[in-house]
Amino acid sequence: MRPPGAARQAWAASLAAAWWLLGPPAPDAQTTGTIDVGVSSVRYDGFLASGAASVSPSLRWERPTGTLTARGTYLRFESGHRSLQGLVAGSFLIRPGAQHWRGELSGSLGASRYLDFASFWHATADARLHILGADGGAWIGATAGGTSYGRAARPVTGAGIGAWARRSQVTLAASATRSFVGDTAYSDFVSTAQTRRGTLALDASLGVRLASLGGGHGVFGEASATLALGERTILFVAGGRYPTDPVSGSVAGRYVSGGVRLRLASPARIASRTALPSGSRQRTPDDADPVAGVRLDLLPQPDGAVRIVLYVADSAAAGVELAGDFTDWQPYELHRTGDGTWEAVLPIPSGLHRLNVRIDRGAWIVPAGLTRAADDFGEEVGIVAVP
Amino acid sequence: MTLLLAVTLVALQAPAQGVDPRLQRLDSITRPMVAALVDSARAAALPTEPLVQRALEGATKRAAGDRIVAAVRRLALDLGHARDALGITTSPPELTAAAAALRAGAPAATLTELRRIRRESLTVPLAVLTDLVSSGVPVDSAAAAVLSLAAKARDADLVEFRRAVERDVALGAPPASATAAAAAAFTTADVQVNAGARQQRPGRP
Repeated sequence: MRPPGAARQAWAASLAAAWWLLGPPAPDAQTTGTIDVGVSSVRYDGFLASGAASVSPSLRWERPTGTLTARGTYLRFESGHRSLQGLVAGSFLIRPGAQHWRGELSGSLGASRYLDFASFWHATADARLHILGADGGAWIGATAGGTSYGRAARPVTGAGIGAWARRSQVTLAASATRSFVGDTAYSDFVSTAQTRRGTLALDASLGVRLASLGGGHGVFGEASATLALGERTILFVAGGRYPTDPVSGSVAGRYVSGGVRLRLASPARIASRTALPSGSRQRTPDDADPVAGVRLDLLPQPDGAVRIVLYVADSAAAGVELAGDFTDWQPYELHRTGDGTWEAVLPIPSGLHRLNVRIDRGAWIVPAGLTRAADDFGEEVGIVAVP
Repeated sequence: MTLLLAVTLVALQAPAQGVDPRLQRLDSITRPMVAALVDSARAAALPTEPLVQRALEGATKRAAGDRIVAAVRRLALDLGHARDALGITTSPPELTAAAAALRAGAPAATLTELRRIRRESLTVPLAVLTDLVSSGVPVDSAAAAVLSLAAKARDADLVEFRRAVERDVALGAPPASATAAAAAAFTTADVQVNAGARQQRPGRP
């Protein structure tokens, strides 16, 4: 089955956006890419429950003053039917003179298609005014645009307010919005909570749709957890119930999903071509662990010395050496203090330092835990700041 | 360019003023060239220890002599540019860190502004700036964050800030966002913005 027109256009728009993102990298831009691969059990309202497999590539271009995201989702249900969604969304921040105020203009363009149903598309623009504090903030905003599902476009308007607060490692947010889509109207009140403990991140939302005319009503809520297995791979599980979205055309449903998110490196590398001179290069998520199983920690001691701890997964290593600008680049042998742990205590002055390590007189390497940079000699050197 | 010419001329003409014994690790052709560069840097009141260390690094890594000389010469130029940006009273560790920051892509104006707003040593702020840029944080994001913190933050706070960025990046946050969020923990927050580009909950069909 060929991808139908509107969804194909959305994918084409996503690809065009990706091409634009990758083409002219701005010197201060950051581009990241991810691809989610997962399986779901989903039951849309009015449909039978079904299993589904999904692939969702995403590209995000970011500057301090704005972001642009291109995202697509391909769903294949156990019936063999397919669903395609595409979205391009951007946001631009305006910083007025007042320190705690921010203006934000954003736009969203998307389309979706399932079976031979009419294709959906939407184009909306948002304007928000934020007031920001150290641990909290609030916003007020308005939305305008249009949406269509195979017939004449319907106008979209809306208004909303929201607030958020951060306490320790938990961020709480709440919003209230009133939306009008043609002759459909509804109000959503949503609260969210996010927290992160080490490599585990949790995100939950709970909301209610009230005063609805043709938009459905009731309580909805979702939760998700992500577990980072490394700097490239994240496992996720998610589930819950979400409401109908008359703007994007998604139907209310319940689901449970699990999968893996893979972080892609190449877009960031492309962005880094002009971001840095040849003497240094950016580290990207996928190459941040240059030597699997070797990690270095520098632990400043009260007496001014620095305890150097190197973790080596290869327990068969017979000798580990370190050389840096604090050893006159003479190899300094670390002593084994445990299974796979090697240590030394050296006087290292405050500042920026360069170092490498080697195992069993092998090549000089940069262990994880340090920033890598080109070393002027065709290799790489680790850089670390000692307070 | 003028500085390069001056350094080169001095390197060719100035007699070595007691070659650092550590440079004995260099071969007989490379050693006098590096020693001359070190002497010329000393004559220009630039710190020489970083130059010696750069040469020793090349020796340890068995780099070719011409690459060692080129590396030392380039570092000498960077140190000169760093002093231009920070002033003649800058300490050697600050100059070393500033040279690394410039090499990583930080603008000289950022260094000058850093000097203006911070009374304490610039070594750690510059080191953190270099580390952020080298880690993939866009230059202006990194500079804005460090400048926003440098006036009041202690060195330890800056290092902790750097670790927070690294942790968030490792967990999947874009470097610029991670930097803004970590800086917000010390100053004013920028989270919950960017309505049009919110992340989609993973796995929602």
